[in-house]
Amino acid sequence: MSFSLAKTLQRWRFEFAQTALALWVALWLVFIAFLFYPIAFMLQGAFVYKGQFTLDFFVLLMRDPSLSDALKASFGLAAATTALTLTLAVPIAFLMARYRLPLKGLLNVLILLPMISPPFVSAIAVKQLLARFGPLNQLLFILHLADPTNPPSWLDYPFWGVVVLQVLHFLPIAYLNAVAALARIDRSLEDAAQSLGAHGFRLFCTITLPLMMPGLFAAVSLVFILAFTDLGTPLVFGYDCVAIRIFHMVETVLENPSGYALVLVVMGLSVAVFWSGKRWAERWQVQTVPRGAAEAGEKAVPALIAGAITAAILLILFAAVLPHIAVILNAFADRWVMTVLPDRWTLQHFLNLLVHPLTVTSIRNSLIYSLASATLDILLGLTIAYLVVRRKAPLPNWLDGAAMLPLAVPGIVVAFGYVGAFANTPLDPRGNPVPLLIIAYAIRRLPYMVRACYAGLQQASEVLEEASLNLGASPFSTFVKVTLPQIFPHLIAGGIMAFAFAMLEVSDSLILAFEQTYFPITKVIYALANRLGDGPRIASAMGVLGMALLAGAMALSLRLMGKRMGDVFRM
Amino acid sequence: MVSVRLEGIVKWLGKTLVLRGVSLTVEPGEFFFVLGPSGCGKTTLLRVIAGFLFPEEGRISFGDRDVTTVPPHQRNAAMVFQHYALFPHMRVWDNVAYGLRVRKLPRAEIRQRISEALHLVRLDGFEWRYPLQLSGGQQQRVALARAIVVRPEVLLLDEPLSNLDAKLRAEMRGELKALQRQLGITTIYVTHDQKEALAMADRIAVMKDGQVMQVGSPMELYRRPANRFVAEFLGDANVWDGRVLAVFADGAEVETPLGKLRCHPPDFAVQVGDPVWVMVRPETVQITRNLKPETRNNEFPAKVVQVTYLGEAVELRLFVGETPVKALNFALHTPHPPLFTDGGLPDEVSIQFAAENLVLLPREDAAAVAV
Repeated sequence: MSFSLAKTLQRWRFEFAQTALALWVALWLVFIAFLFYPIAFMLQGAFVYKGQFTLDFFVLLMRDPSLSDALKASFGLAAATTALTLTLAVPIAFLMARYRLPLKGLLNVLILLPMISPPFVSAIAVKQLLARFGPLNQLLFILHLADPTNPPSWLDYPFWGVVVLQVLHFLPIAYLNAVAALARIDRSLEDAAQSLGAHGFRLFCTITLPLMMPGLFAAVSLVFILAFTDLGTPLVFGYDCVAIRIFHMVETVLENPSGYALVLVVMGLSVAVFWSGKRWAERWQVQTVPRGAAEAGEKAVPALIAGAITAAILLILFAAVLPHIAVILNAFADRWVMTVLPDRWTLQHFLNLLVHPLTVTSIRNSLIYSLASATLDILLGLTIAYLVVRRKAPLPNWLDGAAMLPLAVPGIVVAFGYVGAFANTPLDPRGNPVPLLIIAYAIRRLPYMVRACYAGLQQASEVLEEASLNLGASPFSTFVKVTLPQIFPHLIAGGIMAFAFAMLEVSDSLILAFEQTYFPITKVIYALANRLGDGPRIASAMGVLGMALLAGAMALSLRLMGKRMGDVFRM
Repeated sequence: MVSVRLEGIVKWLGKTLVLRGVSLTVEPGEFFFVLGPSGCGKTTLLRVIAGFLFPEEGRISFGDRDVTTVPPHQRNAAMVFQHYALFPHMRVWDNVAYGLRVRKLPRAEIRQRISEALHLVRLDGFEWRYPLQLSGGQQQRVALARAIVVRPEVLLLDEPLSNLDAKLRAEMRGELKALQRQLGITTIYVTHDQKEALAMADRIAVMKDGQVMQVGSPMELYRRPANRFVAEFLGDANVWDGRVLAVFADGAEVETPLGKLRCHPPDFAVQVGDPVWVMVRPETVQITRNLKPETRNNEFPAKVVQVTYLGEAVELRLFVGETPVKALNFALHTPHPPLFTDGGLPDEVSIQFAAENLVLLPREDAAAVAV
């Protein structure tokens, strides 16, 4: 064993450059410290008590009926959200990809719009919208669809509130996955089916959909995990689920190890979902024909039908954008009581933002955290992608696996692990959460960053690098002069996305930032939303600010990446 | 000018043994070809020489310098890639300048050398184009200029002509050969196209399954192949079963399906009774109209089955008894009376083989045949 290990090491030293090996070791140290160690720490906390192996904490969990209810609730939430999201996203993607539709450019922009804010921000506004005497019911009163003496109480159904908001928010991710899956289909297969007499819905069901399956499995597991572990939305709607339990357990994590057990259950489920999604995708992949020359091209349809399709998609997208409109209305509303729309408008909430000490520091905090984490992401992502894609270091698949792990390990799990694992160390988030927040943001977004770099590197030709080496340039100057210029757009796009998402990250922010001076934007929004009076309005104003920021960032990176955006959000 | 020496190169790619102990010596200034079918390991061999891959076993030296584990950027072995690998974000000028700037040469010298190199490949005036604005042939020449401008010790070419159309390819063959002579750089050229190799090479190494089958000048390989694979890879060949009847100082007598043949002496050890292959190139088969009853040595009556007129030649499919024979005749119209008339060929002709064109090849399956 030790002999073969020594031999392996010797081979690696022969096969790979020293710098690459050093970077490789450094990357693993980062993963070990900030991904594996916290998980291991929780494993130890959950399974070992007073030096003895124990399953008591899990038994306690299972015996607690309210906890198993919360688990079931989360499961139901994720299942409903996933099913609905895909049901909407797949047909939209198909129609958009295959048919010539009016206003397609607009549709393409609108469909990405819901990504510009975390669902919990819209949830704050939507909750106001749905109040007993809120704007929605007022509208229904006017239309004589509801009885003013006994108004429907929408908020009694928090489950559907959460589901709807999650669906609308995850729609773009599922859509991008579906588009990518469609793009990989060999169009000649559809042509062949058509020449054999299939068309329309039948063609879609028998040829297109089955060929899309590998990509869709990926989308399913991605959306499922996101919905399963979403903390913000259920929190706002007060819908009891696992994420909320975990959030509340953070306070007592050091005394009560059953928190670890619960987090591990959640992690186990997520990893299982992720893994089986991947397995299924691979299994289907074998059965589908590898992509041939994909002929791009949109079919013309009669104007009336095309118009109808556009209208239908617009309607869905309008619904998706509605919560954001609610946020904006909220942010500018002065008086909005017992009316459909606010009857007085104001900029006061934005002015309040500027003077409120909490909000100003939080914006500054978020900018610093996000910049730092985006930079960290670019460095990590670029290094990982280069080592993996160019096979410059040993065990590239392992490195890739570790980099992709944050897709399967939910943010609440990592954050929870940090609180426990780094307690009473210089990194203790109870003291100064800044380093851990930056690292947590970076690790969460790392898969997307690595993806963006993969996409860039795979397009950047390796032969060009060889040509450069061959002409006498050192590996480093080859990287700078030949590789970097080719992947620069991807790198910047990935960096901007990492920055933007860090700005609006929810679970890590809520869990890791204990002290007000360190609050990032999202935690302030959460704190404000729970405050009486104009709290929700100021929170909405902050939400608008965040949305504007994220929209700008998205537009910028979309320009840089073009159609390859889908590569980043695929699994 | 340096020599390139490969000694016992072994290379695994994943779980596949791609090079099984390759040894070669390329002489200084030589235009050396590595020829083989796809998958024979020739490109891997080139990449090992360039330093993109390090061999598991064996030694590579350029002249006296052992470069076995020298990284590619320190080898000074410039390569022309199959798809040219021009940097798409740089203009022609900057592509060619790349290796010179890396070497930190003075500006004036860089400018002069680029001009020279572009002039050499006849691309004056294309300096400020981007690679995508060039035709395939022009891109190919930029790639060539970029490689030679650094004055490499060794020039490596990886099927550089495979992406050009047939006419351009034929043109570039002549140009490349002339350029190589002019520069005198030790050059290793990898290809699967035997015509290219025969047309340009000083010497050729034929590879199969990660091993070198034979090394020699184009004529040696074509006329005296060492085995059946080389014989058939380099051109069309008739190959028959044979059994050695007698061995003389100046030849061997072999029993074949056609009858007894007097052959060129083998360059491997044979004994009476050994199974061998007998190989003869179609264009060396002599055809005459006269059907004399008495047969001389190596002369047989043959039935004409198919005649294909190719313009400069006629391809014939013949049968001697039950044995098919391919023949290619260039002297159709010259002998008197002409062999080939508007009425075609007679149904029966006489064919004859010169002993020096009948080559004996060893049978790899000798043991099996002997039983």
